[in-house]
Amino acid sequence: MSTATALTVGATASAAGADLLRIVRINEQIKRVVGVSFKINIMALNAIFLAKRAGTAALGFGVLSNELRVFSQELRDCMSGLNGLIHASVNEVSIILRNGRQDRLLGELAKGGAVLPLVSGVLERRAGERSAHAKRLADLRRQLKRALEDAFQLVELGGVLAKSAKIEAAYGQSFAASLTQVSSEFDGIVEEIRGALESLRHSPFFASK
Amino acid sequence: MKTTKTIFQDGDHRWLAIVRDPDKPNYLIDTNEYLVTHGDRGLLVDPGGAEIFPAVFSALSAEFDPSALSGMFASHQDPDCCSSLALWLEFNPAMRCYVSWMWSGFLPHFGGSGETFVAIPDEGMEIPVDTLMLQAIPAHYLHSSGNFHLYDKVARLLFSGDVGAALLPPGMDGLYVNNFDAHIRHAEAFHKRWMGSNEAKRRWCERASGMAIDLLCPQHGAIYTGPDVERFINWFDELPVGLAV
Repeated sequence: MSTATALTVGATASAAGADLLRIVRINEQIKRVVGVSFKINIMALNAIFLAKRAGTAALGFGVLSNELRVFSQELRDCMSGLNGLIHASVNEVSIILRNGRQDRLLGELAKGGAVLPLVSGVLERRAGERSAHAKRLADLRRQLKRALEDAFQLVELGGVLAKSAKIEAAYGQSFAASLTQVSSEFDGIVEEIRGALESLRHSPFFASK
Repeated sequence: MKTTKTIFQDGDHRWLAIVRDPDKPNYLIDTNEYLVTHGDRGLLVDPGGAEIFPAVFSALSAEFDPSALSGMFASHQDPDCCSSLALWLEFNPAMRCYVSWMWSGFLPHFGGSGETFVAIPDEGMEIPVDTLMLQAIPAHYLHSSGNFHLYDKVARLLFSGDVGAALLPPGMDGLYVNNFDAHIRHAEAFHKRWMGSNEAKRRWCERASGMAIDLLCPQHGAIYTGPDVERFINWFDELPVGLAV
């Protein structure tokens, strides 16, 4: 193994180690978003009952609450897709880490010189595999970024729904105070999700090649 | 790099010991690897841990074409025995790994596929190297619960895994035991702690006493030859084992 190749192997393994930590952090954020989206679902159910009690004065609020339930389900589906990509990324990074250790040990052989003819074919094949895994990880990174952008778009819609619910709450007559409180909670939670996704967008994982 | 020493040769039937790497980091336990060849085929015996693979491979390659290895024998499941498995398979994916049936589902964590492993039944089995037949000898609980030694009746050589192992101090790194009393002091604590069963030990000693053995080759330390083989068996027979405290 040449010095340049050895450096590549070392750098690949070290970058994979850093990626694994970043993926763990992304996964923690995804879990947080999923937890919050469950909360929206329960809150929306309660809001639907409240709107029914309020009758015709809260028809619009009822429709929006239902839309927020749908939003909560879509967000969870979206997070489930992200989870799948995270799982595939962890798998890929683990292979890169394991191969990195093996490449280092095989690289030691090449330093001896005498056995180089024996190992050169294996090293060449493994270099090809290393590139293939790096490419797969880069693809996953791009897919994750795209899925994250989709989630962000969805949350923008959730934000519009929550704000519309706030407006509708004002027409709730004697229920206006309760409806306003519920719609403000919706808004707060959607903002929390937006914040979580925004921080994911800036994860150094997406800046890696 | 490790050194390769021929410890038995009769025509194209050879046993090589791959031993003593001066560059090995101290935090890794020292191990002996063995290669038995017959005709143009070879079997690796306890091929060693992943970290020492470069040293073992380089030493072996100086004497034998690694692509002609037909398989490896793993006395038990420990990482110092066979965690290099995946790396050897890189050079020869057709290699088979003979190991106790107990470990054939565990070793794939080191590497290999469903086709790699040949499960040795508890009573042992014959392992071919070209036309030579070696015998996997049961040594369960010495120290692993699924443990085998490898006997070559033509060479009168028993590879004894951890039985006979000694953790030798610096400067005492000869390939053969030349002063049994001085040597065995470095084997005592190891055997008392690692060997799990007095009953299993007694059975092994009875079996080994009935075998013609000129060379008793452990995975760690020096090789016992001639009368030291019987001395070791008697010493081991009398040693109480299996008590940590």
